[in-house]
Amino acid sequence: MTRERLVDARLHLLSRQVLDADGEPVRAVDDLELTGPDGQEARPGEAAQVGAILVGPTLFTRLFGGAVPASRLPRIAWSDVAHVGTAIELSVRSDELDADWVELWLRDHVVGRLPGGRHDAEADG
Amino acid sequence: MKKVMGAALGILTAIGGFVDIGDLVTNAVVGSRFGLSLAWVVVVGVVGICLFASMAGRVAAVSGRATFEIVRERLGPRAAGANLVASFAINLLTLTAEIGGIALALHLASSVEPRLWIPVAGLAVWLVLWRVKFEVMENVAGLMGLLLVGFAVAPFLLGPDWGELMRQAVPPSPPGTEHVATYWYYAVALFGAAMTPYEVFFFSSGAVEERWTAKDLATNRVNVLIGFPLGGLLSLSIAACAAVVLLPAGIEVSALSQIVLPVAQAGGPLLLAVVIVGIVAATFGAALETALSSGYSLAQYLGWSWGTFRRPAHAARFHLTMIVAVLLGVGILMTSVDPVMVTEMSVVFSAVALPLTYVPILVVANDPQYMGRYVNGRVVNALGTVYLVIVLVAAVAAIPLMIATGAGS
Repeated sequence: MTRERLVDARLHLLSRQVLDADGEPVRAVDDLELTGPDGQEARPGEAAQVGAILVGPTLFTRLFGGAVPASRLPRIAWSDVAHVGTAIELSVRSDELDADWVELWLRDHVVGRLPGGRHDAEADG
Repeated sequence: MKKVMGAALGILTAIGGFVDIGDLVTNAVVGSRFGLSLAWVVVVGVVGICLFASMAGRVAAVSGRATFEIVRERLGPRAAGANLVASFAINLLTLTAEIGGIALALHLASSVEPRLWIPVAGLAVWLVLWRVKFEVMENVAGLMGLLLVGFAVAPFLLGPDWGELMRQAVPPSPPGTEHVATYWYYAVALFGAAMTPYEVFFFSSGAVEERWTAKDLATNRVNVLIGFPLGGLLSLSIAACAAVVLLPAGIEVSALSQIVLPVAQAGGPLLLAVVIVGIVAATFGAALETALSSGYSLAQYLGWSWGTFRRPAHAARFHLTMIVAVLLGVGILMTSVDPVMVTEMSVVFSAVALPLTYVPILVVANDPQYMGRYVNGRVVNALGTVYLVIVLVAAVAAIPLMIATGAGS
């Protein structure tokens, strides 16, 4: 699978659904982190590459302005991306991602604790 | 054989699932004031919902992406966010109206105060969402909703002047007693009731819940193209009942008991009982659909995991959203706001929000990246474009008409 393909970041990446290795939804792509060739911050006028998918608070700063310190942004490393289609498929599972911590916290502390929270309706036949 | 049975079941649930509290109230109000002179709007609305529901179902089946994922992807976070806020608010309003409808119908059946039924109805809705398999909830509510056929039987028992009903309907002639602006206000309300956006959220997400693929497209088309028009016929018969009994008596509908009055007059307690069970099932089914749609739209916008096919713990934020939505709906109703009024508001605001949802669906249904060879044909695109114009006109006209007519009073 080394076929070259032109991908428009704005059109094909932003706002697309991110799926984990099992096909479970993780988040939508809220923003992208660009890095320069040396792995440092991208500089205008120089070549850049997509370093990571940013999710969560960055959506609100994009909508309403302001900025979140870069170190606080939940990110999914671009090296974890396996395939870019109508959704972006990862090669890792969502429980391994720090970016999905809200879902995991609610699962473990709220919804999973309600009676029947781990009941599988499909298994009822 | 199994396939035929499956298709039949799909059609029957589509008929029973078509009518909700919005259709029920708006059609009865319109019938009691305008006779069948607005019947044409129901026809226009049904064709529109057939067109866009089957389109949304096709997009979901082929690409695996549900409607709000597409809205976000096409409109970007800002415009889609505005759409989300509007759709979520209307969804919540509709959910509130549906839970109120369940409570009112149970009140009719039991004469226990509606406010005692509201929390019970809310809890029952949540338990089903929490526990029951998607196919089961859809089929049971849809099949029991078929009992609304009592409304279609009633006009025949009443033996009305059919010639007079036809004269009201074609060509449409608004009664001289009503203002023209009021006529058009109710036209927009009826259109909004028939094309409520939650139906597309629900329909497309349901296709993902039931794991549709391109192979299911024929079933999708048959369900929609047969089921929804027959559901529309049920809507029309509600208006006809009101036109036959309430219009000549000068009764304006302001309560559920008046909506079922013609049925009681036509078929006595037995037919009334059948229709009340039908109303409970139809509003309960629609409460499930709107609660699910609130979860679907928020989860799909933000990319959370969603769906009743996952264990609740594996779609934690989705389930939490639905819990909050049901609690909010129950809370609003407990302020003893009139559910019939909430319903009338919800259908008009639905009309305002229609373009925000239907434009992106039409765009993506033409995108070969998503749809491959299943992109829209020319006829569908032509019809879709005509409907976008209608939807835009209705959306722009809704609020001015509401203000000009004092919400139809």
